[in-house]
Amino acid sequence: MEINGEILSALYEAVDETNLLLPENQQLTKDPDAALFGPDSALDSIGLVSFIIEAESTLSQALGKAITLADERALSRSHSPFRTLGTLVQYVEEQTANGCYKDPRAS
Amino acid sequence: MKTDMSIDFLLRVFKEYRDNDAIIWHDQVFSYKWLLDRVEYWSDRLLLEEVNPGTIVSIEADFSPNSVALFLSLLHGGNVVVPLATAQDTQRDDHMKLAQIEVAIHLKDNDEVSFFRTGVAANHKLLQRLKKSSTPGLVLFTSGSTGKSKAIVHDMLRILDKFKVRRNCLRMITFLLFDHIGGINTMLYILSNGGCMVTVRNRQPDTVLATVEQHQVELLPTSPTFMNLILISEAYKRHNLSSLRKITYGTEPMPETTLNRFHKLLPDIELLQTYGLSEIGILRSKSRKSGSSWMKIGGEGMSTRVINGRLQIKANSAMLGYLNAPSPVTADGWFDTGDAVEIDGEWIKVLGRESEIINVGGQKVFPAEVESAIQQMVGVAEVSVYGESNPITGSIVCATINPVGSVDPKAFGTEVRRYCSDRLPRYMVPMRIQVTDKSQHNTRYKKIRSRPAE
Repeated sequence: MEINGEILSALYEAVDETNLLLPENQQLTKDPDAALFGPDSALDSIGLVSFIIEAESTLSQALGKAITLADERALSRSHSPFRTLGTLVQYVEEQTANGCYKDPRAS
Repeated sequence: MKTDMSIDFLLRVFKEYRDNDAIIWHDQVFSYKWLLDRVEYWSDRLLLEEVNPGTIVSIEADFSPNSVALFLSLLHGGNVVVPLATAQDTQRDDHMKLAQIEVAIHLKDNDEVSFFRTGVAANHKLLQRLKKSSTPGLVLFTSGSTGKSKAIVHDMLRILDKFKVRRNCLRMITFLLFDHIGGINTMLYILSNGGCMVTVRNRQPDTVLATVEQHQVELLPTSPTFMNLILISEAYKRHNLSSLRKITYGTEPMPETTLNRFHKLLPDIELLQTYGLSEIGILRSKSRKSGSSWMKIGGEGMSTRVINGRLQIKANSAMLGYLNAPSPVTADGWFDTGDAVEIDGEWIKVLGRESEIINVGGQKVFPAEVESAIQQMVGVAEVSVYGESNPITGSIVCATINPVGSVDPKAFGTEVRRYCSDRLPRYMVPMRIQVTDKSQHNTRYKKIRSRPAE
């Protein structure tokens, strides 16, 4: 499946920002297939939340919409969107297509 | 009669110190002789205005010669006094209704007095209890920062009791407001010891410190937020503070860094923490040493205990109850302060309001601790820390910062987070940082810990 470049580069920007504060052994890799959160990832819950908040900010800026990643919708999925950067890109794309995010200027 | 006895001990002090300065207001000096005459004048005038014993009377004013004299005359006449600070306009109407004000007294900036009868007949059972026995009372309000403001009813005889023991005669600034338990405490402390009440025109750092210098003030009771403003504004460099022997601070937890910096810059001023609540009164407290946040609290008629890390107090001066909420006192008379504390033998340290603790994935974070770390960073003027709910860790730590000068918010935020990462456990590092130029304290110089409106 093709990866949405705009979303991925916004996530990469969040990775860079998050890595500044992560311990050496928890650094995230800029690779769509690398584990983000789960058994193969060194990231802990604090690291994940930190990345998500950063990603919400970079995505909102890139897409011009208020993006929320940490909510019931994402957390209640049987396949977590937070497995890899690639699955997260897919999730954001899907939510955007379904009109789940609003343009903050429209409200 | 009981009511005639209520402030007799104060009037005796006034006679004894009749030639001394009692109040300095707008650079005019009012002696104890003047105050004594004025209390008598207002007592007569209240009867003429048909303010009979047991009336619920509001006084809307800041500290001034007439507001002080009226306050005392109303107590003398067995009335219930409801001080309203003029700065608190937004809540004024709610407070008047809540306290069932029967007569409203308003003092203009020039100290001119007007009376207004509201037509209300107070019928709340706590107020009735005071009215029936013409026992002087006091109604104060909680700030309402965490919900609806609560009206607290005190029996003034119980509050006055501790002022019968003579202590130091000092020149003090009435910094805490007229409608605040700390402000009332300052006033009664000064007057019961023949000291001098130095009022201020406003509560800006330069005004307050200029007043210290001009009127040779010895004690300034204030808040940690204001002490920080003294440092940020560098007002201490512009005024001679050699008369100032002590600063007392209470009302909110003190960030250790503010305390240390203040102590280093002004080592000759003794810094003492006070502890009190509108519901209980101000406790006598003793700091472990100047500049330490460990203290011993208690005093005559007060007992303390710590249950599940929370401070409880039993006090003779405790309120009778709330007008609009159930009594929070346990069956055996203990009041739960809601303050989380640490204990070391007989010393205690207030960590913060338990309701303000941020729970990040099961780890407790006290806002004051994070604020204290951020405050040390060069380029930070003021900071407030609060929690925001998060579906993964329950809550996350957020901070709002006033930078010194203009900054790029994003780069500054990253810088702050890196600074914190080097000094705090990861769960305490703020995940979201807002940069603002709006002030982060209320009119009482107490920190507002919440997310600012966008």
